[in-house]
Amino acid sequence: MAAKAIHKIVTFLGFLSLLHAAFSAVQHRSYLRITEQEFTTLPIDIIIQGVASLFAVMYGVMHIAGDFKEIRAVVDLENKSWETFRNLPSFQIFNHRGKALSPEYMVEEADRRR
Amino acid sequence: MAGKIRTKQDKDDVIAYSEIAVRNNSAVVEYCRISMAALSGGTAGVLGLTGLYGFGFYVLATISLWMMILIKAGGEWNKYFVSRRSLLTSGFFSGLFTYVLFWTFLYGMVHVY
Repeated sequence: MAAKAIHKIVTFLGFLSLLHAAFSAVQHRSYLRITEQEFTTLPIDIIIQGVASLFAVMYGVMHIAGDFKEIRAVVDLENKSWETFRNLPSFQIFNHRGKALSPEYMVEEADRRR
Repeated sequence: MAGKIRTKQDKDDVIAYSEIAVRNNSAVVEYCRISMAALSGGTAGVLGLTGLYGFGFYVLATISLWMMILIKAGGEWNKYFVSRRSLLTSGFFSGLFTYVLFWTFLYGMVHVY
């Protein structure tokens, strides 16, 4: 459950809504300035829109940030079988003399001269 | 049955934590906290909060982010975090500075100019 498209959409819409709330607040302030009223508090709808969009963006960002992993160390080992520990990369052999026993083995010119 | 085993483990043995997972989780939480501080600072500036109301708003936002993280962890927070309280308190003041920065900036943009 990594960042889904819906979380990105929620974050984007929340940002837009927050910006819109900011512009509404600016307009409200300039309206008060023109009509020469004293500023006490913003209208309740702007406040609600700002807080709601804050929560929307927080929700979206939290899911975009990534998933939690289990912190118990046992969890990683539970998926592995006992055979995994015998697999040592340093001791893997890819080329040895046993290939000469194969029927398809072709003696190369360089090998013969040696 | 499973609960019984777990409590026994808690008392007797030391639980080994996977360091990669712990670091991954704390990185996720840190990302969320920084974004939350910046965003809630911006919102507080837009709403025109002043004085102690602004700091109260930060505390409110911190607690709500904490609850959202706990909800995202799905009710079994000790599967993902060592301590629930340090999840709430760690980075409180470093977030506060980010918060104040965005708060004053947006307050100036919206309400002063």
